[in-house]
Amino acid sequence: MIIDQLLAGFAGALAPLNLVFMAIGVALGIVVGILPGLGSVTALSILIPITFYMDPLVAIAFLVGVNKGGTSGGAVPAILLNAPGTPEAAATALDGHPMAKKGKPVKAMKTALYSSVFGDTISDILLILLAAPFAAFALRFGPAEFTAIVLFSFTLIAGLSGHSLIKGIIAAFFGLFLSTIGLDPVDSSSRMTFDIVELYDGISLNALAIGVLALSSVIQQIFVMRRDGNGAQAGTWQNFDREANKLKPAEFWSRWPTLVRSAFIGSGVGMLPGLGVSLAAFLGYGSAKRASKTPEKFGTGHGEGIMATEAANSAVVGANLVPTIALGIPGNIAAALIIGAFMIHGVVPGPFMIEQHGELIYGIFASMLICNAFHLLIGRVGINIWGYITRVPKTIVLPVVIVLCIVGVYVPTQSLFDVGLMLAFAGLGFVMRNTGFSIVCFVIGFLLGPMFETSLRQTMLMYKSDFTILLSSPIALIFVLLTIFSLWRFARRG
Amino acid sequence: MNVKVRSPRFGIAGLAAFAVAATVALGTPAYADNYPSKPVTLVVPYKAGGSTETMARVYAKALEKELGQPVIVKTRPGGGGAVGATVVAKSAPDGYTLLFAAATALLWPPLTLNVEYTPDSFRWVGSITEYQQALISTPDKPYKTFDQLIAHAKKNPGMNFADQSALSRAFINYIGKKEGIKWTAIPTKGGGEMVPFLLGGKVDVAWSGGVHQKFGDKMHVLASFNATRLAQSPDAPSLKEIYGISMPSYAVIVVPKGTPDDIAGKIEAALQRAGKDKAFDDIVSNKLKFPNQFIGSEKLNQLVKEMIEGLNTVIAATKG
Repeated sequence: MIIDQLLAGFAGALAPLNLVFMAIGVALGIVVGILPGLGSVTALSILIPITFYMDPLVAIAFLVGVNKGGTSGGAVPAILLNAPGTPEAAATALDGHPMAKKGKPVKAMKTALYSSVFGDTISDILLILLAAPFAAFALRFGPAEFTAIVLFSFTLIAGLSGHSLIKGIIAAFFGLFLSTIGLDPVDSSSRMTFDIVELYDGISLNALAIGVLALSSVIQQIFVMRRDGNGAQAGTWQNFDREANKLKPAEFWSRWPTLVRSAFIGSGVGMLPGLGVSLAAFLGYGSAKRASKTPEKFGTGHGEGIMATEAANSAVVGANLVPTIALGIPGNIAAALIIGAFMIHGVVPGPFMIEQHGELIYGIFASMLICNAFHLLIGRVGINIWGYITRVPKTIVLPVVIVLCIVGVYVPTQSLFDVGLMLAFAGLGFVMRNTGFSIVCFVIGFLLGPMFETSLRQTMLMYKSDFTILLSSPIALIFVLLTIFSLWRFARRG
Repeated sequence: MNVKVRSPRFGIAGLAAFAVAATVALGTPAYADNYPSKPVTLVVPYKAGGSTETMARVYAKALEKELGQPVIVKTRPGGGGAVGATVVAKSAPDGYTLLFAAATALLWPPLTLNVEYTPDSFRWVGSITEYQQALISTPDKPYKTFDQLIAHAKKNPGMNFADQSALSRAFINYIGKKEGIKWTAIPTKGGGEMVPFLLGGKVDVAWSGGVHQKFGDKMHVLASFNATRLAQSPDAPSLKEIYGISMPSYAVIVVPKGTPDDIAGKIEAALQRAGKDKAFDDIVSNKLKFPNQFIGSEKLNQLVKEMIEGLNTVIAATKG
């Protein structure tokens, strides 16, 4: 039944025009994804008006291509320059950049790309097979279940804090503190906004992430170059060894448990509205490290770390269309933009979408699978091009990245206030880098803070301050037990 | 000595003179004859992807044909529309910066938050549609009408309702106050969070800005928050019939105060004609199922006064 419809979908999706636009979409997505701060979301909002005059299938397939490319492109600056432009690529930098520094930048990029495509494909297959039952399952997740998931996510700090757990916790709490700025989610009263209207929605995640993750790293590298006085002429890595940069299939597939685990984590996060790509990436990384027999290798240029992150963040892309197609609600902002595109093309997303527009939906499903093939091909060609960046002197690359950081913050909201914030966070990031406070933990605290506060307060209101709901809901109970288990394991390893 | 005392003054005077000269030289005088002579910006104060932004994108295309200049949609999200509204309130009143927003984004924040604009900071040019705001529930609940809900809520204190803003919460609390009902507001971040809560049975009733119309018989309307009953749910009463209050429902286009009459007139005429565009009409009438009806500045200004009065009533009643 599904196979028949999917085959019919392929017939439509394989139209030459559709193929051309999918390829263009993936390529554009990758390029935009590489620019710091600009990811799928910015690319989609700029490109949606262009699709007005396209056929609905071509338009959506094009946008799906952009979304796929945009999610994986972010790995490139994370690996080559240690400058992840989005929090979703922050964990990629943890192992990707050390691997690149060891003279294997191309191998790191290949690992990232293949893992992305793998995670994405698994997620698409789950979407196609399970959209309807998945959605029914997703409805069982309410505030109590979200609270438990976020609680569990806080245990990531332990694995990502680097050398000093105490400093990691301090960094996370500082991020958490900054995330409380803005209007209170329950009674809408101002908190630490100083009547600055730009702060009513809180500090922009984009500005914070680009500042502490990308720009501060660039500043750091400039200082190092000045101190060592040699970086001026040399490319990033002189000794490019072709042999060392090969990625053998056996080596890649020997880590299949990590790939599959991350693909499922990403898909699970993707189908639950509101959790987001970045959390998927951190959860993928954290769980791979926890499951590993050699966790000490993580953070030193270990391929498994890249795989765990990239498979997880790309697996969100397909799955976040589950709530869109089954319930008509967006899984995240990228999906919200695609909902807008659906409406412009005469399709009202909602529970009746598959019934009313079955042909189109299966055409889109088929296009998603074809897009993955394009993603692999175009991404692979791209790696050769990005490889050249490693031969450009840093004195040229780094100033360009600084400009891109500023543009990347300005474009999505067109706000100079956010650019100022970003510069301030770059300063903070620089200080943290030089005092050993984990920036990743800081970002995680900032990311999880509002999720935890909102779900916890919703839970308390909904169940009249009865905390036992966290134990009586089976899904919540699982995550509470997981939290206790990982704390216990961490304490024992000490 | 003399020079020393006078020099700062000269400085200020000189600066002022320079500023005046610069303004005269650089500022484009707002002549209606050649308006518009450059691209027009349409600011949407919400995140991309929502129904307002989708409407604005299509509407901008139609407006472009009428004005003969490109219309660029810019999103400036934040503070429930307050960030975009502040930006437009402070921009030059030359007809090149328009704001497309829910009337509530211009009326509610000045009443409850510390923002740098008031409803009078704008010239209200026109309204192009109405959001379909409703109190909704699912068919599996024992109450099928608003009266049954009130009766049920009186017998079962502590029901949960999902709101999407301080404004929607205030209105539902107003109902509670009037009827002596105790129920709990669960804040949600918009339709995307409200829908799973309602369908998953986590809340009993919910405020909807129009998203329920996509769900057919999976959701039903108990009452309308608009001044009139909703076209799609003619059997559900409006709050106006019951309590004499209503929530502002208009999607409006405004320009900064001080925009010259002739330019505002040109924009109003273009807005009215653009509303008849086929693609826009299809999105509004068939996809969003909102009414495609234009309200001109004259009637809109009257409505604004009524809306402010109504909101003050609700604030006074639900305080504390």
